[in-house]
Amino acid sequence: MLKDFLKKYFGRSLWVYHCNSGGCNGCDIEVVNVLTPYYDVERFGIKLVGSPRHADVMLCQGPAGRATAPALKRAYEAVPEPKLVFAIGSCACGGGLWHDTYNIIGPIEKVIPVHFYIPGCPPRPEAIIYGVALALGVVEKKAVPTEYHPMKLPIVRYHPEDIHVEKGWATYDKLEKV
Amino acid sequence: MYLLSKLRETILSLKAGRVTLTYPVDPRPVPERFRGRPVFQPERCIGCAGCANNCPAREILIADPCQEMRVVMYLGRRCTYCGRCADLCPENAIVMSQEYENASPKITDIRQSLEIWMGTCQRCGRCFKDAGPLDQLMMKGYRFDDLGAELWVYKSRAYLDREPVVKDIDIELD
Amino acid sequence: MRGLMVFFSSIMNLVLVLLIAPLFDGVTRKVTAVVQSRKGPPVTQSYMDLMKLLIKEDIEVGDSPVMQRFSALLSFAAILSVALLIPMGTSAPLSGWADSILLIYLLTLAGISVLLAGLAAGSTYSLVGMSREMMAMMTLEPLMAIAIIVSAVHADSLRLDAILGGGVYTGSGILWSRILILGVTAFALQAFVGRMPFDVTEAETEIMEGPLVEYSGPKLALFKYARMAKMFLYTGLFIALFVPRIETGYYLADLAVFLAEQAVLVLIVTVIAATHARYRIDQVVRYYVVLFIVALLALLLAVIGS
Repeated sequence: MLKDFLKKYFGRSLWVYHCNSGGCNGCDIEVVNVLTPYYDVERFGIKLVGSPRHADVMLCQGPAGRATAPALKRAYEAVPEPKLVFAIGSCACGGGLWHDTYNIIGPIEKVIPVHFYIPGCPPRPEAIIYGVALALGVVEKKAVPTEYHPMKLPIVRYHPEDIHVEKGWATYDKLEKV
Repeated sequence: MYLLSKLRETILSLKAGRVTLTYPVDPRPVPERFRGRPVFQPERCIGCAGCANNCPAREILIADPCQEMRVVMYLGRRCTYCGRCADLCPENAIVMSQEYENASPKITDIRQSLEIWMGTCQRCGRCFKDAGPLDQLMMKGYRFDDLGAELWVYKSRAYLDREPVVKDIDIELD
Repeated sequence: MRGLMVFFSSIMNLVLVLLIAPLFDGVTRKVTAVVQSRKGPPVTQSYMDLMKLLIKEDIEVGDSPVMQRFSALLSFAAILSVALLIPMGTSAPLSGWADSILLIYLLTLAGISVLLAGLAAGSTYSLVGMSREMMAMMTLEPLMAIAIIVSAVHADSLRLDAILGGGVYTGSGILWSRILILGVTAFALQAFVGRMPFDVTEAETEIMEGPLVEYSGPKLALFKYARMAKMFLYTGLFIALFVPRIETGYYLADLAVFLAEQAVLVLIVTVIAATHARYRIDQVVRYYVVLFIVALLALLLAVIGS
């Protein structure tokens, strides 16, 4: 019962641990910019702490490299429950430009579960504050997937029996016979 | 004295006031040439796949489910907002908008997918591209020499300069 | 009747420490933010921090989780016991049953509990933080002890109500030892409360928060609370030793005056903390040793009667 009362205050004081698992430091600098007087995220009660055991939110940036993936996993396990993970920057969200290089496993969601994605290269400090405000429930989500369908398939062809539809894609098998 | 100088430092920093921006409450304008998320306009896309071939992060995928349809899918995960796709697009179908508020709990929320209807050749049914000048020399349907006047008709867009480049040689032009 | 008064006054002291210490910490953070030209956290932020820490999961790793629990509880308990020995408004609740030796002992115990915390966690960073804290503590704790002993020498007794009521000022003439010891304690106040120039051990991001690196959840809440209460108690002790007491006879008026004096001291400490950079451990030890030598001089002068 005391826990339910105290849970209300969880969002008012989030302690953040910044973890860089191989990035170029661009997003590092933007995260540190968010703590400067101009953008000042400390007015939401967010404090940067030096140890994952003190933190609630892990801000990860940089893709998961082969050598840093075990360290990332251990840092994630060191954060006590309840926890949140933010993936900041395009490297952490999807592997970035380095997604197929020799030492990168991929985005960090291959190693630890991620709750919020903030894409950008690097994301503006306002974009990071927007992501934090989204997690706190202060603003609404603006990114919506868009799809454009001009017409419906299948299209009548000379040989309609050679078209087969699977999973919403229609393919025409006999390409040479027109 | 040392302590007085520290006191002066405090008073000086108080003169600056509070410089914090009230960001989530008030919207914040961006500089003019800021590159935010690319927005694909499906009415202008011709399906040339130039953006997909040149994306450094390989985030734009092209698939042809059948002869007349080409699907262009932009997955926003790895996009570095470099703007190459917008630079390259011959029809200016991609615009780098100024939106930077792209955070969301699911990474598939910034995906944009377009299905483009492609024109096809009436004879073979395949999507075509026009033959180049060398191929036109060999193909039927591209020669229009004037048989009545017995003249060769040039179809190249290049032209011969009437002024000789080198002044001491006399070149006879037809 | 006397027992009831003691009981009531000790409850009041504890409630004051528990309620007002996070408020002072919030004021510290807000004033630091104002000096840095930004809008800082709200003044009640420290309360929310402590409440949030109470619902976090408690991860216990390392060789001796029992020792970790013990050190967290010891630090909180030692600080609360010191709260019962400091006069806030009226005289201290336990002043009839305790003397200044116990006060010195409890203050040192509060410092030792942080050392135990660092040792019990056992990770490299916490051991480094603990060794730095030990170096700082060995040269710093005697300063408060000497301040109390100088007052005891002048007041000719070790009883708390003789010393903490402004006992330093008994006697006549310009008493050099008093001025010296006042100067020493004023210069060391920043170090006793563990704020910025002398922040080497407590909240450091160079060695990942020092001795507290492995603590999470409720134990961390206890350590943070103990640190906030240390600010309250050391400023209270400074006022009790060196600021002459204004007796109006009404408990609430005395309490208001005490809190106002504390607020002034907290403001001074915060402004100094916001404008300084952190000293290295060897600079810190050198600073404390110089102050210690001056304090010994003051003790010598007090003993020979000046």
